[in-house]
Amino acid sequence: MIPSRTIDVSHLPDVEINDQAPLWWGQVSLAVVEGTTFCVLIATYFYVRLSMDMWPPPGVQLPHELLPAIELAFLLVSCIGSYMASEAAKKDDRGGMILGLGINLLLALVAVGIRAVEWYQWNWKWTTTAYGSVTWSIMFLHTVDVAADLVYTTVLIVILLVRRAGPYQRLGVHVDSIVWYFLVAIWIPLYVTLFWGPYIVGAP
Amino acid sequence: MIRRAALIPAIAALALLSGCGAKVQSAMDPAGPEAGRIAGLMWFFIILVSVIFVVVMACVLYALFRGPRGIEQEPLERTHAPSTATEEKLTRNVTAATVATVVILFGLLVASVVTGRAISSLGTAKNGITVEVTGNQWWWYVRYPNDIAQWTVVTANEIHIPVGRPVQIRGTSNDVIHSFWVPNLNGKIDLIPSRVTERWIQADRPGRFRGQCAEFCGLQHAHMALWVIADPPDKFQAWMNAQLQAPQPPGDPELQRGQQVFLNHACVYCHTIGGTSAMASVGPDLTHFGSRSTIAAGTLPNTKGNLGGWITDPQNVKPGNHMAVVDIKADELQPLIDYLESLK
Amino acid sequence: MTLPMEPAVRDIDVERERENLKRAWSSPGGIWGWLSVTTHHAIGMRYIVTAFIFLLAGGVEAFLMRLQLSRPDNTFLSPDKYNQLFTMHGTTMMFLFAVPVMEGMGVYLVPLMLGTRNVAFPRLNAFGYYMYLAGGIFLYWGLFSNSGPDAGWFAYTPLSGPMYSAGKRVDVWAQMITFTEISAMCVAAELIATILKMRAPGMSLNRIPLFCWSMLVQSWMVLFAMPAVMIASTVFLLNDRTIGTHFVNPAEGGDPLLYQHVFWFFGHPEVYIIFIPALGMISSIVDTDTRRAIFGYPAMVLSVVATAFIGFGLWVHHMFATGLPQIGEAYFTAASMMIGITSGVQIFCWIVTIWTGRVRWSAAMHFVLGFFFIFVAGGLTGIILAAIPLDLQVHDTFFVVAHFHYVLIGGALFPLFGGFHHWFPKFTGRMIDERIGKVTFWLLFVGFNLTFFPMHLLGLYGMTRRIYTYGSEMGWDHGNALATAGASIIAVGGILFIINVFVSRKSGALAGANPLDSGTLEWATTSPPEPFNFVLLPVATSRYPLWTLPKERLAVTGVRSDRREVLVTTVMDAEPRHRYPLPHSSIWPFISALLIAIALTGSVFAFGWYYIGFIVAAIGLIGWFWPWRRREARS
Repeated sequence: MIPSRTIDVSHLPDVEINDQAPLWWGQVSLAVVEGTTFCVLIATYFYVRLSMDMWPPPGVQLPHELLPAIELAFLLVSCIGSYMASEAAKKDDRGGMILGLGINLLLALVAVGIRAVEWYQWNWKWTTTAYGSVTWSIMFLHTVDVAADLVYTTVLIVILLVRRAGPYQRLGVHVDSIVWYFLVAIWIPLYVTLFWGPYIVGAP
Repeated sequence: MIRRAALIPAIAALALLSGCGAKVQSAMDPAGPEAGRIAGLMWFFIILVSVIFVVVMACVLYALFRGPRGIEQEPLERTHAPSTATEEKLTRNVTAATVATVVILFGLLVASVVTGRAISSLGTAKNGITVEVTGNQWWWYVRYPNDIAQWTVVTANEIHIPVGRPVQIRGTSNDVIHSFWVPNLNGKIDLIPSRVTERWIQADRPGRFRGQCAEFCGLQHAHMALWVIADPPDKFQAWMNAQLQAPQPPGDPELQRGQQVFLNHACVYCHTIGGTSAMASVGPDLTHFGSRSTIAAGTLPNTKGNLGGWITDPQNVKPGNHMAVVDIKADELQPLIDYLESLK
Repeated sequence: MTLPMEPAVRDIDVERERENLKRAWSSPGGIWGWLSVTTHHAIGMRYIVTAFIFLLAGGVEAFLMRLQLSRPDNTFLSPDKYNQLFTMHGTTMMFLFAVPVMEGMGVYLVPLMLGTRNVAFPRLNAFGYYMYLAGGIFLYWGLFSNSGPDAGWFAYTPLSGPMYSAGKRVDVWAQMITFTEISAMCVAAELIATILKMRAPGMSLNRIPLFCWSMLVQSWMVLFAMPAVMIASTVFLLNDRTIGTHFVNPAEGGDPLLYQHVFWFFGHPEVYIIFIPALGMISSIVDTDTRRAIFGYPAMVLSVVATAFIGFGLWVHHMFATGLPQIGEAYFTAASMMIGITSGVQIFCWIVTIWTGRVRWSAAMHFVLGFFFIFVAGGLTGIILAAIPLDLQVHDTFFVVAHFHYVLIGGALFPLFGGFHHWFPKFTGRMIDERIGKVTFWLLFVGFNLTFFPMHLLGLYGMTRRIYTYGSEMGWDHGNALATAGASIIAVGGILFIINVFVSRKSGALAGANPLDSGTLEWATTSPPEPFNFVLLPVATSRYPLWTLPKERLAVTGVRSDRREVLVTTVMDAEPRHRYPLPHSSIWPFISALLIAIALTGSVFAFGWYYIGFIVAAIGLIGWFWPWRRREARS
């Protein structure tokens, strides 16, 4: 059927590096899934607290405060690198993208290193009552998410270096930044739960 | 044709409701105040939702099968939407139906909450007794607690209660989640390990009321029943006294032989019989086994024949249950059965 | 819209466009080609066919159960077999049939209804399907290797925990859920992006078909609900069973009720996830077969959205018997009744639509009638269950079994079968035999009521659920015998439907593009649609674009036809924003799914397989997104 009138869209670009891209909604979906997962785990933490008399349970140390706070600071600062990369992506600035992602990766690796040191110092395991189960689960799942994003960032940097910085790669950089913002943002309530929880709702 | 077909379930319903078949464990045959309130509310709801159903279906059928109306004059084929006047009328109808729905649901909510609170208040009378029930795979441990240790009664799978007095069931579980349910007396309550839950029951007439575990608990969930027997107060007291009786050693030599058979076999690893050296509590307490009406948590009537079959091959009766097969020789079986049945 | 418009017919070489599109949208042949397909019709149809096979499997399981229960003290099935069967039946129907079939219908129909060429993430679509298929195979491999789960489709702890369920049975169940939930979340993500961003210009949000609203709402529900079941099954239950965590172990601070809360936080929305797409299908059938627009579009949309929100606040009504505080429970009674209002509004709107329309009494309309009858009955027994005193009597009895089969079969399966009959011409290019379709309906309708109505009474008379047998003194014989007889009739109806599908595909009358004179865009193209859907992407100026007068029809030009490309529009008003090249066929979704499936299978044996899974997932995703030299378009 020949239409009587047409709308011509040939002049429109074939990518937009902002929230108009369908991929942006894909990231929203991912954030909803991950966010819901962590919210359920936070709720689990407090639910388990209600069934136990001592919190943390006997034998479990109180959380350290210094290292987790430093790690959080590094995570927050690493977002600057993501922001730089994302802005460079909008301007099609390949060097800027690599620099921004590189800064993000570096600072994020420092944060992960600090987290590893802190986690290693925990004197309880996932089998140490339900407290251990829920705290280890939160730590493990968030760390896996962070590791996945660091792999993603690394691969992106490699692609930008050896291949090309076409529209998809730019969109990929922008998406990586959004994912990273989300992972850092969701860490804030998790950090509060894990490291301040025993001080807020604890019992000796 | 549609109307006729719709009658099929209605006829089936009437046939079944009219009670072809005994009503052994029926929520619609209440024997006490709690179950009575519930049954009353159930009838109220059933009648009301049936009326609503008929009205809604009448509207559907009318909409589908009504003859041609003035609406046909509207250029439906061209615009695929009736006139604004029609749409306004429909808006009023839908709004009215919605408002009616809200009002009815609110009324049902109030009825439900009021009934719930009335039932709760039945359970706070002062002359209540307490019975502790612990769910196991696949039997019921029953205990009548008392501050004085010797006046505590322990039994299994059968609960006696006095007519007219509220009884608090306090429940927990030794293993998985079970659910204590005696529909003639009240709704169910789950028995959850490491928690204590409670439900009040009361019988206002004497009788035997069957209950059944109502939370899937494994292989023999289907065969985990119990009996609640409501007796007039004097008969209840007589039963309690009999349960409190310290069991005497059997006088009859056959029964003595039976007791020896019991004590010499693996039975003692699981069962308690008061006044003997058998004091294990893995399985039901058998001290007054002869006075109970069923074997294996309501699975078989307690007769000598059934008991023999149960002891020689428990897996045949209740495949997967935890009672071991004990090797009882042919000449030992009858004395054992006689002994156990003598434990009244 | 402020884009340049050509006032007269442009000299568009439609045939050349079609040739280019055919080339760009062709899929390679052979097994490799089949595994690389990313077009939404192919993937959608795979979902539907696979789900239908699982429906048959679930039906066989149900039939075996009915045979066992047809007589008291029957010995046809051992308790162990029976427990596996009811677990498999519930698990298959809920996870492997009901959700995937709705997703499949959505994946197939939504891009067509919106006037675009594919879903937003075609490779993710394929990946989701392979994960679903792998999950189904995983579960049934368990069943046939004597590791079929046997703790119920909900697997309450402690029964399903390490102490009381030995072996791998429950582990298989728990990890199968991971497969199907990943699949559902993939489809949800892509449908949301598609429905919000890839609509025909002019199809503002208040013009999208009600079926698309249903799929949009359902997709958001999936995203919020599925994580909870993954936590309950994998983080809580599977870890407690395999690595010694104590989430649900009361001896170490855990709580069996924690599992129930988190499971039912998913479990209640799950039934709406199944039911809401079916509501959209009813609207599609009713508007076509009454020749009028559905009455009350805003009310219909608000009802569906409200249903979704309220649906997240009902879950404790599955736990009324657990001894929770009464005040809290009363809130859930109110919410559980309130949701009857939102469903009621939709029913009223459909009734008045039918009342003021001109009814075509098709096989699909028969199924709509069946929906009204059965779903309304089920909803009303739901009101009974919402009242706590009543629930405490009929919870965990056959009354509940009757209720949920009435709402699920009436509310989801009957609309689905109506949809199958309604869209059969679009899927296959041929008309389905209407007469056989109507006979199918009657068999299913009569068989269903005969099977499940007696169960209301069985429940009131004390018959508990999940029991493999019962004594003849209970008085349950007649009800059970009737139910088994009804099941046989359902089976005959199902077989007749399958015969109808095969016969009609071979020799049904050829259908044109729009044999039913429907108004929505899926009917604006050939039957079956070509892989690119439309030669020129349509423009929508109303809710029913095909019912607007011909001289107002518009189309889009300027979207490239020498590669796979669609148009991205704004969320609210569907104004064109940019063109969006879509990926061609790719083997990477299959490879990724295969590797991840192997890792998840291993994970029920050793935790280390999760690490392997991380690595192979990374490999698969890197291959997926790596900028290979693409087959460049020929101009």
